[in-house]
Amino acid sequence: MITLVILEAIGIKKHFGGVTALANANLRCYQGRITGLLGANGSGKSTMSKIITGVYQADGGEIRYKGRVVNYRSPSEARKDGIAMVFQNLSLVADLTVWQNIVLGAEESRGMFLDNDSARELSTKILAQLLPELDINKKVSQLNPGEMQIVEIAKAVSQNPQLLILDEPTAALEQAQVKNLFNYMRALAKKGVAMIFTSHRLWEVMEICDDATIFRNGENVASIDFEKEEKDPEKIVSYITGETQKERVEEKRKAVTGGTILRIKNLNYGKLKDVSFELKKGEILGVGGLAGQGQLELMHALAGSFPGISCEAELMGKEVKLNKPVNAIKEGILLVPGDKQLEGLFLRHSVLFNIIFPKMSLPHHPLFIPYEKYREECEEIVDVLSIKTPTVDAPVETLSGGNQQKVVVGKWLPFDINVLLLADPAKGVDIGAKRDLYQYIVDQVQEKNMSVILYASDNEELVDYCDRVLIMYEGQIVTTLEGEDISEDTIIACSMRVR
Amino acid sequence: MMNKTNHNSPRLNLANYVFRPEFSSLVILIAMVVITAVLQENFFTIKSIVRNINAFAPLILLAMGAGVVIISGGLDLSAGAALSLFTCVLTTVMKRGEPITGVYAIIITFAVAIMVGVVNGIGIGYLRIPPVIVTFATSYIWLGIGLFLRPTPGGESVAWFRMFYNPAMVDGIHPAIEQFGRVIPPALILVLIACFIWFIVSKTKTGRYIYAVGSNNDNAYASGINTAKVQLLACVINSIFIFLAALFFVGQNQSGDARMGDPLTLRAIASAIVGGIALTGGRGSVYFALVGALILSFVNKIIFFANISYAYQTLVSGLIVIVAIAAPVAYNLHSSKED
Repeated sequence: MITLVILEAIGIKKHFGGVTALANANLRCYQGRITGLLGANGSGKSTMSKIITGVYQADGGEIRYKGRVVNYRSPSEARKDGIAMVFQNLSLVADLTVWQNIVLGAEESRGMFLDNDSARELSTKILAQLLPELDINKKVSQLNPGEMQIVEIAKAVSQNPQLLILDEPTAALEQAQVKNLFNYMRALAKKGVAMIFTSHRLWEVMEICDDATIFRNGENVASIDFEKEEKDPEKIVSYITGETQKERVEEKRKAVTGGTILRIKNLNYGKLKDVSFELKKGEILGVGGLAGQGQLELMHALAGSFPGISCEAELMGKEVKLNKPVNAIKEGILLVPGDKQLEGLFLRHSVLFNIIFPKMSLPHHPLFIPYEKYREECEEIVDVLSIKTPTVDAPVETLSGGNQQKVVVGKWLPFDINVLLLADPAKGVDIGAKRDLYQYIVDQVQEKNMSVILYASDNEELVDYCDRVLIMYEGQIVTTLEGEDISEDTIIACSMRVR
Repeated sequence: MMNKTNHNSPRLNLANYVFRPEFSSLVILIAMVVITAVLQENFFTIKSIVRNINAFAPLILLAMGAGVVIISGGLDLSAGAALSLFTCVLTTVMKRGEPITGVYAIIITFAVAIMVGVVNGIGIGYLRIPPVIVTFATSYIWLGIGLFLRPTPGGESVAWFRMFYNPAMVDGIHPAIEQFGRVIPPALILVLIACFIWFIVSKTKTGRYIYAVGSNNDNAYASGINTAKVQLLACVINSIFIFLAALFFVGQNQSGDARMGDPLTLRAIASAIVGGIALTGGRGSVYFALVGALILSFVNKIIFFANISYAYQTLVSGLIVIVAIAAPVAYNLHSSKED
């Protein structure tokens, strides 16, 4: 079979502010072949897909599609040319039915009226291969995340694309659904459709893809043709992590000697399944793994965000209930959320307001807010954390990302912390501020003898600061790494279940 | 094969209708009709029915318009002011004794109605200003223009404009039309025209997109829909329905008034909500805005015939409206738990 290059991306560059997402990335897709895109979090594979479909515009380089240079400014432009993308953040409309969503934006008309019969027929035909049991007359608001993902795929396919980009389509799917999807993708490939498939699950890429391109730090570092070369997971992992390990800055912290402070047994909620672990006093416990394997849910569960949780939790030998945030706060279990804009801060309010706010939710808080006292405390915290702000009355939104994150940490400082939960605290924070933040946390751990559970999407942070690392996969803890075993290599290998 | 029929059959059986959220408003309406019929002896005479239709029609038209806008994710606080403006324009253009001016008035006012819709639509759709703010502002613009044209209620109207109220009042009209008008009043025809317009629109892309945009503007945009245009069209449809109400008003009163529509604005929105249309957009049926308007109208009738002391009438009507709004909500909660 002659393989025809349908899309070629050459030397693509993309910066977001000061962060380089793509340095010099190349990608090639062939008619009738499925190309896998692999890489660690933030390696630039999602950015690449979004540049091809016109969600983002490249800062440099060129994209050739069917032999001519293209530069799409929106996904709908790309779609007109036959490039469809299945988005991770879904593009469905909840109040319309399944079939209405599948044809949305591309409805066929008979005269001036919508041709609903052909739309239902088309939807039934596509779904017959992907999810035959789904009722196409259901509203999308009644579907579960996996079904929505399938409908999203059906929507992309319904417009007969020549290039189909699937960005982590399997993350929300069950095994059987994945199998159907793969069969369907193979059928599409036979018809000549080119596909780009990204997934964190290495075995999926090896199963479905004809070739794979591996991204690291915004560059393509390797391409593997699975038809010619052996499928060697260890080799792929080494491409993803990079052979040369950076020298570590500091020596490993001294071993933790404290006793157990927190014991979690059989925690079940949502995607979390039978999570059990122990946390020692003075320990920094890392939680790692691929993105979206339940790490964030675990952090929120420990902070008491889920009323319906089932879990046996013991703090210093005493049973605690984790069904309300205020219970967790009273016991000194405090969460520093990663998505500071959504969960941690009132951006339009002052630094002062944000820092004193959690105190007001405590029982026995005085009726009138003692502002003068709080102002002094707040200024002290700003000083200790070296938060760069003109006054404590400045709105938080005027601060830089790193300083905003410090405010999130700062608001818990006046409390007696037993367990500090850090959910990706350095996400979107520049390197200097990141180091400050972690240094401060490490100091606090030693000074106050508290314990920390750290979830970081950047494995480097886990390697640099954690005493132990739990690897999560599909809501379960699959591996616990200790001491010398903690390295980026082993974390990624365990995350992908290669080892 | 079994599977296929299951997929393709639209849901038309009774059980599916009972479980639709709008169903409760239908039950309330029937209850209200029964109560009114018991209280008012001659309720089911043709004369009484025609009188009721005339009394209800303007609110029904505005409620359907409000329904379209709310489903598209907007809200129109300028509906009453727009209605007033249209009556002012109609009575300014018309000259008593010159029948042809009636035709000019209809054409010019229709153009004004389209423009009113377009202005609201540009603010909501293209400039992305919150609908409440846009239409609050435009309501004063419509009022201002209305007061400019007609500082005090009045104005002229051609004789044949009574066609839109009661054909029997027009001199020299064909007896057949006169008879027809006794049974099928013009107000009912205007409501049916509005229903027909929406029936046509709902079968086109625009109708589908009004729901899509109201349900999730961003995702609709990501699907390649021109969301601003859709919101603008929703405002224009609303404006056309208000125009139909203006024809009826001028036919009835033979005069224009820059303030007459004000009390209808919020009643129209309330009607749409009582009819099961979600204020958050994307959900509900425009026809049920009609049901909601009927419910609100019957509330006043019932209170009137129930001999409730005048001092309590407003209070009682407020309480009934709360029950009418709460019932679909409670019903929704109940049936969504069953899912």
